[in-house]
Amino acid sequence: MQDVISQVKEALDGALSPSVAIDWKCDFKGVKTGWCKLPESDQLLAAASAISTMGGRLSTVTAYLAEKYRKQGRREIAYHFDLDGTTLTLTIELPLEKARVASLTPLFRNADWNEREFMELYDIDVIGHPDPRRLFIDETIEPAVFDGLIPYSTLINGASSKTLWEAVMAQNSKEQGK
Amino acid sequence: MSSYTIPVGPLHVALEEPMYFRVEAQGEMVVGLDITAGHVHRGIEALAMTRNFYQNITLTERLCSLCSNSHPSTYCMALENLASIRIPERAEYLRVIADEIKRVASNLFNCAILGHIIGFDSLFKHVMETREIMQDVKETIYGNRMDLAANCIGGVKYDLDEERSKYLWQQMERMKKHLDEIYALYCKNSFVRLRTEGVGVLSKEDALRFAVVGPVARGSGIDYDVRQKSPYAAYDRLDFEVQTENGGDVLCRAKVRLREAQQAVRLIQQCVTDMPAGPTCIDTPPEIPAGEAIAKSEAPRGELIYYLRTDGSDIPERLKWRVPSYMNWDALKSMLVGDKISDIALIVNSIDPCISCTER
Repeated sequence: MQDVISQVKEALDGALSPSVAIDWKCDFKGVKTGWCKLPESDQLLAAASAISTMGGRLSTVTAYLAEKYRKQGRREIAYHFDLDGTTLTLTIELPLEKARVASLTPLFRNADWNEREFMELYDIDVIGHPDPRRLFIDETIEPAVFDGLIPYSTLINGASSKTLWEAVMAQNSKEQGK
Repeated sequence: MSSYTIPVGPLHVALEEPMYFRVEAQGEMVVGLDITAGHVHRGIEALAMTRNFYQNITLTERLCSLCSNSHPSTYCMALENLASIRIPERAEYLRVIADEIKRVASNLFNCAILGHIIGFDSLFKHVMETREIMQDVKETIYGNRMDLAANCIGGVKYDLDEERSKYLWQQMERMKKHLDEIYALYCKNSFVRLRTEGVGVLSKEDALRFAVVGPVARGSGIDYDVRQKSPYAAYDRLDFEVQTENGGDVLCRAKVRLREAQQAVRLIQQCVTDMPAGPTCIDTPPEIPAGEAIAKSEAPRGELIYYLRTDGSDIPERLKWRVPSYMNWDALKSMLVGDKISDIALIVNSIDPCISCTER
Protein backbone atom coordinates (compact mmCIF):
# COMPACT_ATOMS: atom_id res chain seq x y z
CA MET A 1 0.00 0.00 0.00
CA GLN A 2 1.29 3.38 -1.00
CA ASP A 3 2.21 5.34 2.12
CA VAL A 4 0.68 8.67 2.97
CA ILE A 5 3.84 10.67 2.18
CA SER A 6 3.96 9.57 -1.46
CA GLN A 7 0.17 9.88 -1.77
CA VAL A 8 0.27 13.50 -0.62
CA LYS A 9 3.23 14.28 -2.87
CA GLU A 10 1.48 12.76 -5.87
CA ALA A 11 -1.77 14.60 -5.12
CA LEU A 12 -0.13 18.00 -4.62
CA ASP A 13 2.22 17.56 -7.59
CA GLY A 14 -0.82 16.89 -9.76
CA ALA A 15 -2.62 19.97 -8.47
CA LEU A 16 0.17 22.55 -8.25
CA SER A 17 2.81 23.70 -10.65
CA PRO A 18 5.68 23.97 -9.88
CA SER A 19 5.63 21.30 -7.20
CA VAL A 20 5.89 22.30 -3.54
CA ALA A 21 8.18 20.99 -0.82
CA ILE A 22 6.65 19.23 2.18
CA ASP A 23 8.59 18.85 5.40
CA TRP A 24 7.59 15.61 7.14
CA LYS A 25 8.16 14.96 10.82
CA CYS A 26 7.58 11.75 12.72
CA ASP A 27 7.15 11.51 16.50
CA PHE A 28 8.31 8.70 18.82
CA LYS A 29 5.09 6.78 18.14
CA GLY A 30 5.45 6.97 14.36
CA VAL A 31 2.71 9.60 13.94
CA LYS A 32 3.50 11.81 10.95
CA THR A 33 2.90 15.53 10.49
CA GLY A 34 3.52 17.26 7.17
CA TRP A 35 4.24 20.98 6.81
CA CYS A 36 3.92 22.77 3.51
CA LYS A 37 4.04 26.47 2.76
CA LEU A 38 2.28 27.31 -0.49
CA PRO A 39 4.25 29.87 -2.54
CA GLU A 40 1.04 31.66 -3.60
CA SER A 41 -2.11 32.03 -1.50
CA ASP A 42 -4.33 31.45 -4.55
CA GLN A 43 -2.95 27.88 -4.75
CA LEU A 44 -4.90 27.02 -1.61
CA LEU A 45 -8.11 25.95 -3.35
CA ALA A 46 -6.29 23.61 -5.77
CA ALA A 47 -4.21 22.08 -2.96
CA ALA A 48 -7.25 21.65 -0.69
CA SER A 49 -9.19 20.12 -3.56
CA ALA A 50 -6.43 17.53 -4.07
CA ILE A 51 -6.55 16.68 -0.35
CA SER A 52 -10.33 16.41 -0.46
CA THR A 53 -10.04 13.98 -3.38
CA MET A 54 -7.65 11.88 -1.27
CA GLY A 55 -10.36 11.62 1.40
CA GLY A 56 -8.75 14.17 3.71
CA ARG A 57 -10.71 15.94 6.42
CA LEU A 58 -10.29 19.57 7.43
CA SER A 59 -9.31 19.41 11.11
CA THR A 60 -9.07 23.10 11.85
CA VAL A 61 -7.72 26.41 10.61
CA THR A 62 -5.33 28.72 12.49
CA ALA A 63 -4.87 32.34 11.48
CA TYR A 64 -2.10 34.21 13.27
CA LEU A 65 -0.35 37.53 13.33
CA ALA A 66 2.87 37.66 15.31
CA GLU A 67 4.52 41.02 15.96
CA LYS A 68 7.38 40.19 13.59
CA TYR A 69 4.89 39.53 10.77
CA ARG A 70 3.11 42.80 11.48
CA LYS A 71 6.41 44.63 11.00
CA GLN A 72 6.94 42.78 7.73
CA GLY A 73 3.41 43.68 6.58
CA ARG A 74 2.24 40.08 6.28
CA ARG A 75 0.14 37.48 8.07
CA GLU A 76 -0.38 33.73 7.74
CA ILE A 77 -3.13 31.15 7.87
CA ALA A 78 -2.42 27.46 8.56
CA TYR A 79 -4.96 24.90 7.34
CA HIS A 80 -4.67 21.58 9.17
CA PHE A 81 -5.97 18.46 7.39
CA ASP A 82 -6.35 14.95 8.73
CA LEU A 83 -5.39 12.07 6.48
CA ASP A 84 -6.46 9.03 8.49
CA GLY A 85 -4.30 9.98 11.48
CA THR A 86 -1.60 11.93 9.68
CA THR A 87 -1.86 15.71 9.89
CA LEU A 88 -0.91 17.88 6.93
CA THR A 89 -0.65 21.63 7.46
CA LEU A 90 -0.82 23.93 4.44
CA THR A 91 0.25 27.48 5.21
CA ILE A 92 -0.47 30.52 3.10
CA GLU A 93 0.86 34.04 3.44
CA LEU A 94 -1.42 37.06 3.07
CA PRO A 95 -0.77 40.79 3.16
CA LEU A 96 -1.41 42.57 6.44
CA GLU A 97 -3.86 44.99 4.79
CA LYS A 98 -6.77 43.90 2.58
CA ALA A 99 -6.10 40.19 3.14
CA ARG A 100 -8.42 37.99 1.09
CA VAL A 101 -8.64 34.24 0.83
CA ALA A 102 -10.97 31.84 -0.96
CA SER A 103 -13.51 29.94 1.14
CA LEU A 104 -12.98 26.20 1.46
CA THR A 105 -16.68 25.62 2.17
CA PRO A 106 -17.37 24.19 -1.34
CA LEU A 107 -14.86 21.42 -0.47
CA PHE A 108 -15.21 21.09 3.30
CA ARG A 109 -18.53 21.87 4.96
CA ASN A 110 -16.82 22.37 8.34
CA ALA A 111 -14.71 25.23 6.94
CA ASP A 112 -17.83 27.35 7.59
CA TRP A 113 -17.34 27.93 11.34
CA ASN A 114 -13.53 28.00 11.08
CA GLU A 115 -13.63 30.78 8.49
CA ARG A 116 -16.31 32.75 10.36
CA GLU A 117 -14.14 32.59 13.46
CA PHE A 118 -10.93 33.86 11.88
CA MET A 119 -12.87 36.57 10.02
CA GLU A 120 -14.00 38.04 13.36
CA LEU A 121 -10.57 37.71 15.00
CA TYR A 122 -8.46 39.09 12.16
CA ASP A 123 -8.89 41.55 9.31
CA ILE A 124 -9.24 38.85 6.66
CA ASP A 125 -12.00 38.61 4.05
CA VAL A 126 -13.14 35.18 2.96
CA ILE A 127 -14.30 35.18 -0.64
CA GLY A 128 -17.35 33.05 -1.34
CA HIS A 129 -18.28 32.25 2.26
CA PRO A 130 -21.99 31.30 2.28
CA ASP A 131 -22.76 32.88 5.67
CA PRO A 132 -20.13 35.44 6.71
CA ARG A 133 -21.81 36.47 9.99
CA ARG A 134 -20.01 36.81 13.31
CA LEU A 135 -19.62 33.42 15.00
CA PHE A 136 -18.88 34.12 18.67
CA ILE A 137 -18.18 37.82 19.09
CA ASP A 138 -21.07 40.26 19.29
CA GLU A 139 -21.61 42.68 16.41
CA THR A 140 -21.23 45.64 18.80
CA ILE A 141 -17.56 44.79 19.38
CA GLU A 142 -15.14 46.23 16.87
CA PRO A 143 -13.90 43.78 14.21
CA ALA A 144 -10.51 42.05 13.98
CA VAL A 145 -9.92 41.99 17.73
CA PHE A 146 -6.75 39.88 17.48
CA ASP A 147 -5.25 42.46 15.09
CA GLY A 148 -5.68 45.28 17.59
CA LEU A 149 -3.14 46.33 20.18
CA ILE A 150 -5.80 46.61 22.89
CA PRO A 151 -5.68 43.58 25.24
CA TYR A 152 -8.44 41.27 24.15
CA SER A 153 -9.65 40.74 27.71
CA THR A 154 -10.59 44.42 27.93
CA LEU A 155 -12.83 44.02 24.90
CA ILE A 156 -14.89 41.25 26.41
CA ASN A 157 -16.83 40.68 29.57
CA GLY A 158 -13.74 39.22 31.25
CA ALA A 159 -12.84 42.77 32.19
CA SER A 160 -16.29 43.80 33.43
CA SER A 161 -15.98 42.60 37.03
CA LYS A 162 -12.73 44.56 37.51
CA THR A 163 -14.28 47.65 35.92
CA LEU A 164 -17.36 47.29 38.12
CA TRP A 165 -15.23 46.84 41.25
CA GLU A 166 -13.19 49.94 40.44
CA ALA A 167 -16.39 51.93 39.85
CA VAL A 168 -17.83 50.78 43.20
CA MET A 169 -14.60 51.61 45.05
CA ALA A 170 -14.39 55.02 43.38
CA GLN A 171 -17.99 55.75 44.38
CA ASN A 172 -17.33 54.60 47.97
CA SER A 173 -14.27 56.77 48.39
CA LYS A 174 -16.19 59.72 46.95
CA GLU A 175 -19.00 59.20 49.48
CA GLN A 176 -16.55 58.78 52.37
CA GLY A 177 -14.84 62.00 51.34
CA LYS A 178 -18.11 64.00 51.67
CA MET B 1 -48.73 24.12 6.13
CA SER B 2 -47.31 27.44 7.31
CA SER B 3 -44.08 27.40 9.29
CA TYR B 4 -43.27 29.28 12.48
CA THR B 5 -40.18 30.05 14.51
CA ILE B 6 -39.43 28.85 18.02
CA PRO B 7 -36.57 30.26 20.08
CA VAL B 8 -34.78 27.62 22.16
CA GLY B 9 -32.23 29.05 24.56
CA PRO B 10 -29.86 30.64 25.16
CA LEU B 11 -31.06 29.82 28.67
CA HIS B 12 -33.17 26.70 28.68
CA VAL B 13 -34.00 24.12 31.31
CA ALA B 14 -32.62 21.28 29.19
CA LEU B 15 -29.39 23.01 28.15
CA GLU B 16 -26.40 22.75 30.46
CA GLU B 17 -24.82 25.88 29.01
CA PRO B 18 -26.15 28.79 26.94
CA MET B 19 -26.69 28.41 23.19
CA TYR B 20 -29.43 29.95 21.08
CA PHE B 21 -31.32 27.81 18.57
CA ARG B 22 -33.69 29.45 16.15
CA VAL B 23 -35.90 26.56 15.16
CA GLU B 24 -38.18 26.67 12.12
CA ALA B 25 -41.13 24.34 12.59
CA GLN B 26 -44.11 23.08 10.66
CA GLY B 27 -46.70 21.55 12.95
CA GLU B 28 -44.66 19.40 15.33
CA MET B 29 -41.75 18.95 12.91
CA VAL B 30 -38.46 20.81 12.84
CA VAL B 31 -37.80 22.02 9.28
CA GLY B 32 -34.86 24.37 9.80
CA LEU B 33 -32.28 25.45 12.35
CA ASP B 34 -29.96 28.37 12.92
CA ILE B 35 -27.46 28.43 15.78
CA THR B 36 -26.17 31.59 17.48
CA ALA B 37 -23.13 31.05 19.65
CA GLY B 38 -20.92 33.32 21.73
CA HIS B 39 -22.71 33.55 25.08
CA VAL B 40 -19.79 32.19 27.08
CA HIS B 41 -16.94 33.34 24.86
CA ARG B 42 -14.08 34.24 27.23
CA GLY B 43 -11.16 35.04 24.92
CA ILE B 44 -8.99 32.28 26.41
CA GLU B 45 -6.99 31.87 23.19
CA ALA B 46 -5.95 35.51 23.49
CA LEU B 47 -5.06 34.99 27.15
CA ALA B 48 -2.92 31.97 26.23
CA MET B 49 -0.72 34.24 24.12
CA THR B 50 0.03 36.42 27.13
CA ARG B 51 0.99 33.62 29.52
CA ASN B 52 4.10 31.47 29.63
CA PHE B 53 4.24 27.76 28.82
CA TYR B 54 3.78 26.72 32.46
CA GLN B 55 0.90 29.11 33.18
CA ASN B 56 -0.91 27.78 30.11
CA ILE B 57 -1.06 24.28 31.62
CA THR B 58 -3.24 25.72 34.38
CA LEU B 59 -5.20 27.90 31.96
CA THR B 60 -6.04 25.15 29.47
CA GLU B 61 -7.24 22.87 32.28
CA ARG B 62 -9.90 25.48 33.02
CA LEU B 63 -11.41 25.52 29.53
CA CYS B 64 -13.94 22.88 30.38
CA SER B 65 -14.77 20.76 33.40
CA LEU B 66 -15.72 17.44 31.86
CA CYS B 67 -12.72 17.01 29.55
CA SER B 68 -10.40 19.17 31.64
CA ASN B 69 -7.54 16.66 31.58
CA SER B 70 -7.52 16.34 27.78
CA HIS B 71 -6.63 20.01 27.33
CA PRO B 72 -3.45 20.27 29.42
CA SER B 73 -2.26 16.81 28.39
CA THR B 74 -2.64 17.61 24.67
CA TYR B 75 -1.10 21.04 25.15
CA CYS B 76 1.90 19.42 26.91
CA MET B 77 2.12 16.90 24.04
CA ALA B 78 2.37 19.81 21.58
CA LEU B 79 5.25 21.30 23.58
CA GLU B 80 6.93 17.90 23.85
CA ASN B 81 6.55 17.27 20.10
CA LEU B 82 8.10 20.65 19.38
CA ALA B 83 11.03 20.07 21.72
CA SER B 84 11.41 16.34 20.85
CA ILE B 85 10.90 15.42 24.49
CA ARG B 86 10.23 11.76 25.16
CA ILE B 87 8.29 11.40 28.39
CA PRO B 88 9.12 8.48 30.75
CA GLU B 89 7.21 5.26 30.09
CA ARG B 90 5.54 5.34 33.49
CA ALA B 91 4.26 8.84 32.76
CA GLU B 92 2.67 7.56 29.52
CA TYR B 93 0.59 5.07 31.50
CA LEU B 94 -0.28 7.65 34.15
CA ARG B 95 -1.53 10.02 31.43
CA VAL B 96 -3.78 7.25 30.07
CA ILE B 97 -5.16 6.59 33.55
CA ALA B 98 -6.04 10.27 34.06
CA ASP B 99 -7.64 10.55 30.61
CA GLU B 100 -9.67 7.35 30.96
CA ILE B 101 -10.92 8.22 34.45
CA LYS B 102 -12.22 11.48 33.00
CA ARG B 103 -13.74 9.66 30.02
CA VAL B 104 -15.83 7.36 32.24
CA ALA B 105 -17.11 10.28 34.34
CA SER B 106 -17.82 12.43 31.28
CA ASN B 107 -19.63 9.74 29.29
CA LEU B 108 -21.74 8.72 32.28
CA PHE B 109 -22.73 12.33 32.88
CA ASN B 110 -24.05 12.62 29.32
CA CYS B 111 -25.93 9.32 29.48
CA ALA B 112 -27.43 10.32 32.84
CA ILE B 113 -28.73 13.58 31.35
CA LEU B 114 -30.34 11.52 28.58
CA GLY B 115 -32.32 9.69 31.29
CA HIS B 116 -33.37 13.01 32.84
CA ILE B 117 -34.51 14.48 29.50
CA ILE B 118 -36.72 11.49 28.68
CA GLY B 119 -38.29 11.71 32.14
CA PHE B 120 -36.62 8.56 33.48
CA ASP B 121 -35.23 10.20 36.58
CA SER B 122 -34.52 6.99 38.47
CA LEU B 123 -32.17 6.09 35.61
CA PHE B 124 -30.59 9.54 35.85
CA LYS B 125 -29.98 9.02 39.58
CA HIS B 126 -28.64 5.49 39.09
CA VAL B 127 -26.12 6.57 36.43
CA MET B 128 -25.05 9.62 38.46
CA GLU B 129 -24.61 7.43 41.54
CA THR B 130 -22.34 5.13 39.55
CA ARG B 131 -20.44 8.15 38.25
CA GLU B 132 -19.92 9.17 41.86
CA ILE B 133 -17.50 6.23 42.23
CA MET B 134 -15.33 7.90 39.59
CA GLN B 135 -15.65 11.26 41.33
CA ASP B 136 -14.41 9.63 44.55
CA VAL B 137 -11.53 8.04 42.62
CA LYS B 138 -10.54 11.46 41.27
CA GLU B 139 -10.73 13.02 44.71
CA THR B 140 -8.72 10.22 46.31
CA ILE B 141 -5.94 10.10 43.70
CA TYR B 142 -5.70 13.69 42.54
CA GLY B 143 -7.29 15.62 45.41
CA ASN B 144 -9.89 17.19 43.11
CA ARG B 145 -13.20 16.03 41.71
CA MET B 146 -12.90 17.77 38.31
CA ASP B 147 -9.54 19.40 37.51
CA LEU B 148 -6.88 16.78 38.15
CA ALA B 149 -3.73 18.94 37.74
CA ALA B 150 -2.05 15.74 36.58
CA ASN B 151 0.11 17.03 33.72
CA CYS B 152 3.39 18.84 33.37
CA ILE B 153 5.78 19.37 30.48
CA GLY B 154 7.68 16.10 30.15
CA GLY B 155 5.39 13.87 32.17
CA VAL B 156 2.92 13.95 35.03
CA LYS B 157 2.75 15.48 38.48
CA TYR B 158 1.32 12.48 40.31
CA ASP B 159 2.18 8.86 40.96
CA LEU B 160 0.37 5.78 42.19
CA ASP B 161 1.90 3.93 45.11
CA GLU B 162 0.91 0.36 45.90
CA GLU B 163 -1.97 1.37 48.14
CA ARG B 164 -3.50 3.77 45.60
CA SER B 165 -2.99 1.30 42.72
CA LYS B 166 -4.88 -1.33 44.72
CA TYR B 167 -7.63 1.15 45.53
CA LEU B 168 -7.95 2.16 41.87
CA TRP B 169 -8.12 -1.47 40.77
CA GLN B 170 -10.83 -2.24 43.33
CA GLN B 171 -12.93 0.75 42.32
CA MET B 172 -12.72 -0.30 38.66
CA GLU B 173 -13.92 -3.78 39.68
CA ARG B 174 -16.89 -2.09 41.38
CA MET B 175 -17.58 -0.06 38.23
CA LYS B 176 -17.75 -3.11 35.96
CA LYS B 177 -20.94 -4.53 37.46
CA HIS B 178 -22.70 -1.16 37.45
CA LEU B 179 -21.63 -0.38 33.89
CA ASP B 180 -22.81 -3.77 32.63
CA GLU B 181 -26.21 -3.18 34.25
CA ILE B 182 -26.51 0.32 32.85
CA TYR B 183 -25.50 -0.75 29.34
CA ALA B 184 -28.07 -3.58 29.37
CA LEU B 185 -30.71 -1.13 30.54
CA TYR B 186 -30.05 1.34 27.71
CA CYS B 187 -30.09 -1.51 25.18
CA LYS B 188 -33.18 -3.35 26.41
CA ASN B 189 -35.47 -1.01 28.33
CA SER B 190 -38.51 -0.41 26.14
CA PHE B 191 -39.07 3.16 27.38
CA VAL B 192 -35.45 4.21 26.69
CA ARG B 193 -35.60 2.60 23.25
CA LEU B 194 -38.98 4.12 22.41
CA ARG B 195 -37.65 7.63 23.09
CA THR B 196 -34.18 7.29 21.55
CA GLU B 197 -34.24 4.76 18.73
CA GLY B 198 -34.53 6.34 15.29
CA VAL B 199 -34.42 9.82 16.86
CA GLY B 200 -31.92 12.46 15.69
CA VAL B 201 -30.44 10.29 12.97
CA LEU B 202 -27.14 11.36 11.44
CA SER B 203 -26.34 9.25 8.39
CA LYS B 204 -22.77 8.14 7.75
CA GLU B 205 -22.69 10.34 4.63
CA ASP B 206 -23.72 13.40 6.64
CA ALA B 207 -21.33 12.50 9.46
CA LEU B 208 -18.49 12.55 6.92
CA ARG B 209 -19.80 15.74 5.29
CA PHE B 210 -20.00 17.61 8.61
CA ALA B 211 -16.63 16.11 9.67
CA VAL B 212 -17.97 15.13 13.09
CA VAL B 213 -15.72 13.27 15.49
CA GLY B 214 -15.84 11.12 18.63
CA PRO B 215 -18.90 9.14 19.72
CA VAL B 216 -21.07 11.22 17.35
CA ALA B 217 -19.01 9.97 14.37
CA ARG B 218 -18.62 6.44 15.73
CA GLY B 219 -22.37 6.26 16.40
CA SER B 220 -22.83 6.81 12.65
CA GLY B 221 -20.44 4.02 11.69
CA ILE B 222 -17.19 5.98 11.28
CA ASP B 223 -14.36 3.84 12.60
CA TYR B 224 -12.05 6.64 13.77
CA ASP B 225 -10.42 7.02 17.17
CA VAL B 226 -7.31 9.17 17.66
CA ARG B 227 -6.00 6.65 20.20
CA GLN B 228 -5.60 4.17 17.33
CA LYS B 229 -5.08 6.43 14.32
CA SER B 230 -2.44 8.71 15.91
CA PRO B 231 -1.32 6.84 19.03
CA TYR B 232 0.05 8.83 21.96
CA ALA B 233 0.89 8.17 25.62
CA ALA B 234 0.71 4.37 26.19
CA TYR B 235 -2.20 3.63 23.83
CA ASP B 236 0.07 1.90 21.30
CA ARG B 237 0.78 -0.76 23.93
CA LEU B 238 -2.76 -1.21 25.25
CA ASP B 239 -5.40 -3.59 24.01
CA PHE B 240 -8.68 -1.93 23.02
CA GLU B 241 -11.14 -1.79 20.15
CA VAL B 242 -12.78 1.23 18.52
CA GLN B 243 -16.49 1.17 19.42
CA THR B 244 -18.93 1.86 16.61
CA GLU B 245 -22.65 1.65 15.89
CA ASN B 246 -24.34 2.05 12.53
CA GLY B 247 -27.76 3.50 13.34
CA GLY B 248 -26.64 7.11 13.79
CA ASP B 249 -29.42 7.89 16.27
CA VAL B 250 -29.51 9.10 19.88
CA LEU B 251 -29.42 5.54 21.21
CA CYS B 252 -26.39 4.58 19.09
CA ARG B 253 -24.41 7.55 20.41
CA ALA B 254 -25.32 6.63 24.00
CA LYS B 255 -24.36 2.98 23.42
CA VAL B 256 -20.96 4.00 22.02
CA ARG B 257 -20.35 6.22 25.08
CA LEU B 258 -21.33 3.49 27.51
CA ARG B 259 -19.16 0.87 25.80
CA GLU B 260 -16.28 3.34 25.78
CA ALA B 261 -16.78 3.79 29.53
CA GLN B 262 -16.67 0.00 29.99
CA GLN B 263 -13.53 -0.15 27.85
CA ALA B 264 -11.95 2.75 29.76
CA VAL B 265 -12.30 0.76 32.99
CA ARG B 266 -10.43 -2.15 31.37
CA LEU B 267 -7.78 0.25 30.03
CA ILE B 268 -7.24 1.68 33.52
CA GLN B 269 -6.78 -1.84 34.90
CA GLN B 270 -4.36 -2.71 32.07
CA CYS B 271 -2.33 0.38 32.96
CA VAL B 272 -2.24 -0.50 36.66
CA THR B 273 -1.00 -3.99 35.74
CA ASP B 274 1.45 -3.10 32.96
CA MET B 275 2.88 0.19 34.23
CA PRO B 276 6.64 -0.09 34.70
CA ALA B 277 8.49 1.43 37.63
CA GLY B 278 10.52 4.54 37.00
CA PRO B 279 10.38 8.31 36.90
CA THR B 280 7.13 10.17 36.19
CA CYS B 281 8.68 13.22 34.57
CA ILE B 282 11.84 14.29 32.78
CA ASP B 283 14.49 15.49 35.20
CA THR B 284 15.76 18.51 33.26
CA PRO B 285 13.90 21.77 32.60
CA PRO B 286 12.41 21.64 29.10
CA GLU B 287 13.88 23.88 26.43
CA ILE B 288 11.24 24.89 23.92
CA PRO B 289 12.76 26.03 20.62
CA ALA B 290 11.14 28.26 17.99
CA GLY B 291 8.91 26.26 15.68
CA GLU B 292 5.46 24.78 15.27
CA ALA B 293 3.83 21.53 16.32
CA ILE B 294 0.56 19.64 16.28
CA ALA B 295 -0.79 17.33 18.98
CA LYS B 296 -3.99 15.33 18.92
CA SER B 297 -5.85 13.25 21.47
CA GLU B 298 -9.16 11.45 21.83
CA ALA B 299 -11.04 13.51 24.42
CA PRO B 300 -14.35 12.11 25.75
CA ARG B 301 -16.18 13.99 22.96
CA GLY B 302 -13.69 13.09 20.23
CA GLU B 303 -10.63 14.41 18.46
CA LEU B 304 -8.99 17.36 20.18
CA ILE B 305 -6.27 19.11 18.20
CA TYR B 306 -3.72 21.65 19.43
CA TYR B 307 -1.54 23.81 17.20
CA LEU B 308 1.38 25.55 18.87
CA ARG B 309 3.69 28.10 17.35
CA THR B 310 6.70 29.43 19.28
CA ASP B 311 9.37 32.04 18.68
CA GLY B 312 12.04 30.92 21.15
CA SER B 313 10.58 32.90 24.07
CA ASP B 314 8.59 31.27 26.89
CA ILE B 315 5.24 32.61 25.62
CA PRO B 316 3.39 31.00 22.70
CA GLU B 317 3.35 33.06 19.54
CA ARG B 318 0.06 31.32 18.76
CA LEU B 319 -1.83 28.59 20.56
CA LYS B 320 -4.94 27.32 18.85
CA TRP B 321 -7.10 24.37 19.73
CA ARG B 322 -10.16 22.92 18.10
CA VAL B 323 -12.45 20.95 20.33
CA PRO B 324 -14.61 17.99 19.22
CA SER B 325 -17.91 19.82 19.82
CA TYR B 326 -16.91 22.45 17.23
CA MET B 327 -18.11 20.47 14.20
CA ASN B 328 -20.73 18.49 16.07
CA TRP B 329 -22.87 21.61 16.58
CA ASP B 330 -23.29 22.22 12.86
CA ALA B 331 -24.31 18.57 12.34
CA LEU B 332 -27.40 19.24 14.50
CA LYS B 333 -28.88 20.76 11.34
CA SER B 334 -28.93 17.27 9.88
CA MET B 335 -30.03 15.53 13.10
CA LEU B 336 -32.87 17.86 14.07
CA VAL B 337 -34.57 18.48 10.73
CA GLY B 338 -37.43 16.02 10.31
CA ASP B 339 -37.65 15.26 14.02
CA LYS B 340 -40.20 16.47 16.56
CA ILE B 341 -39.93 19.71 18.49
CA SER B 342 -40.28 17.71 21.71
CA ASP B 343 -37.04 15.85 20.88
CA ILE B 344 -34.86 18.95 20.41
CA ALA B 345 -33.34 18.84 23.91
CA LEU B 346 -32.74 15.08 23.63
CA ILE B 347 -30.98 15.39 20.27
CA VAL B 348 -28.89 18.38 21.36
CA ASN B 349 -27.78 16.42 24.43
CA SER B 350 -26.85 13.45 22.23
CA ILE B 351 -23.89 15.32 20.73
CA ASP B 352 -22.67 15.76 24.35
CA PRO B 353 -22.24 19.46 23.63
CA CYS B 354 -19.59 21.47 25.39
CA ILE B 355 -20.13 25.18 24.89
CA SER B 356 -17.30 26.31 27.18
CA CYS B 357 -14.93 24.23 25.06
CA THR B 358 -16.38 25.43 21.76
CA GLU B 359 -16.35 29.14 22.48
CA ARG B 360 -13.20 29.29 24.61
